[in-house]
Amino acid sequence: MASGDKSIRVDMNSQTAKTEPFPERWQLLGGRALSARILLEEGDPAGDALGSGNVLVMAPGVLSGTSAPTSGRISMGGKSPLTGGIKEANAGGNPGQDLMKLGYRCIIVTGKPKDPSKRYGLEVDAQGVRVVAADAHKGLWNYASCEKLYEKYPKTASFISIGPAGEMQLTGASIACTDEKGRPARHAARGGLGAVMGSKGLKYVAVDAGKLAVRQPAARKEFFGYSKEYTKAYQAGPQMFKFGTSSVVPIANMLNTFPYRNRTEGQSPDVASLDGKRIVESFETRGGGMHNCMTGCIVQCSNVVHDKDGNYKTSALEFETLTLLGANCGIASWEDVADLDRLCDEIGLDTIETGAAIAIYMDSGGMEFGDAAGAKRILREIAEGTELGKAIGNGAVSIGKKRNHKRVPAVKGQAIPAWDPRPLKATGVTYATSPMGADHTAGLIINPGMPATEFARASQESQLVNAVCDSSGFCQFLQPSIEDIAKYYTLYLGRDVTREQVADIGWQCLQDEWEFNRRAGWTPDKDDLPECMKTEGVGPNHVMKFDVPKEIIDAARAQRFAPREELFKLKATG
Amino acid sequence: MPTVVVPPPFRGPTLGVEKIEVPAGSARQCLEAVDAHHPGFRDLVVDAAGELHRFVKLFRNGEQLVGDALAEPIAEGDRLEVLSAIAGGSCAAPRARL
Repeated sequence: MASGDKSIRVDMNSQTAKTEPFPERWQLLGGRALSARILLEEGDPAGDALGSGNVLVMAPGVLSGTSAPTSGRISMGGKSPLTGGIKEANAGGNPGQDLMKLGYRCIIVTGKPKDPSKRYGLEVDAQGVRVVAADAHKGLWNYASCEKLYEKYPKTASFISIGPAGEMQLTGASIACTDEKGRPARHAARGGLGAVMGSKGLKYVAVDAGKLAVRQPAARKEFFGYSKEYTKAYQAGPQMFKFGTSSVVPIANMLNTFPYRNRTEGQSPDVASLDGKRIVESFETRGGGMHNCMTGCIVQCSNVVHDKDGNYKTSALEFETLTLLGANCGIASWEDVADLDRLCDEIGLDTIETGAAIAIYMDSGGMEFGDAAGAKRILREIAEGTELGKAIGNGAVSIGKKRNHKRVPAVKGQAIPAWDPRPLKATGVTYATSPMGADHTAGLIINPGMPATEFARASQESQLVNAVCDSSGFCQFLQPSIEDIAKYYTLYLGRDVTREQVADIGWQCLQDEWEFNRRAGWTPDKDDLPECMKTEGVGPNHVMKFDVPKEIIDAARAQRFAPREELFKLKATG
Repeated sequence: MPTVVVPPPFRGPTLGVEKIEVPAGSARQCLEAVDAHHPGFRDLVVDAAGELHRFVKLFRNGEQLVGDALAEPIAEGDRLEVLSAIAGGSCAAPRARL
């Protein structure tokens, strides 16, 4: 680990940037845990998420920039304008590892410009850091903005950007990261952090690590040896994500967690036409295929989707998007969902929140379920900033209020993802108790037969393991365990890092986040699911409802369960 | 007796039970035996044509069964593990030891 690591501090009051030594006390923190710590120490939990007091953190994981496989993830953090609590949204692409190769452990953005009409960019390279004027990018959609950026910056650069949704400070706005091919297709999507970036007038971050080598571990030979064996073991295994998360569609449907028409059903009649297998079949005649979203990824779960004429359409078309913008809106064709996915990536929107919002609009009679053309029109309205567009761009609760609609499946202001809490009750406990609100990447348990007595522990353990993973730089689809990560940290630092210490980092991260939320005004009674999840069932005879008693929900965070062997071997899952 | 190991996503029909002992036989017969006591399990593993769902893999004593996996013999003491291509925590995916 490089002892000369730095932090970048960006003051958007004065539009200046500087670097400073990265604190020794944060050495084992990265990604989500680092973001949580910075926000608790420097953020403004009770303040306006779109005000000058909010702090936007961009933090690669501890191992990002090394040769560890699939380790380049980056966390975006801040107070969420959607939930009013702390938020961490994690993304792939290359900016995380490029920042780390340059020796930058985090970017901390504070303040906001006096003139909200101005746009700025942040440049990060071997020569230093600087804020530059970026009015020429104002209003540009993400792909056009990145193309323009590549006219100015080298092909080795990677970008972090927002689209018009972030510039309009819509609470469903995402932050985009460019993938290995320079496409703004990897999004830190949940929680509206794109709006926070937009509130600070920051349109993009350009990171150019040139041809810098990967970060060198302390125990080089052992680290490379372990990575080689880890990779070999992974590739010798079943590689269940080799065709992407979209291949999960049929099994999710079988488990009644493929929500249809604003979650009024758990199965969709359109499962065959939304099945990821259709996407894989399209590769043969149209091109496209599976690829890495970031350099060094061995999972390759990201798909590149082409249209009928063989032209690039979008990447990656995931299970969550096929569900929320597909089945949940009654939209039957994966090709229409691919168009919607591209539009969301361009405008800079969370596909989960946007899909949930459109489905609520449909359910309230605003348009017909299944109207794909109408959904595309609405996305364009979001970009144009119409009244309806803004209501939907601000997410599920926003459009639900506007339409006075009762069925709004959201927790703490954030739309529930595809994984439904009614057949997956332990996951529902995560949604209720996670500092992130309804976020499946915070702790996903797909175990429909689990006894209720195990929900609290299972949720807590899953939340802890995923917090550790999202701090390490590893992608959740590599499914590392705490034991795996502790081994990597030991070899990277050249000193013993026990699995207990790593588990403690995960627990402390959750504690920091819960404390931030307490200061933001969250109270324990908010740890619950909406009425519609308790009264409206899915599955045969609609018997599956979220009926977990409050005392079990509360037990997931009331106190830490004593670490057991299963915790250290539990794989991250998202 | 052989043991069938049920992955977490498929433990709805088994009411949470992870390991089920069944009489020795082919993999298909072992899965049918589980279904006899836990109706609904077979439909999660085998499709309408009687073939393994494409998102399901079978492992016998840690080795993946390929080809006609359902016809493979499962003997006394064997462990037949069902793996599904879905996330879900736990030590779901067998991985070669490092």
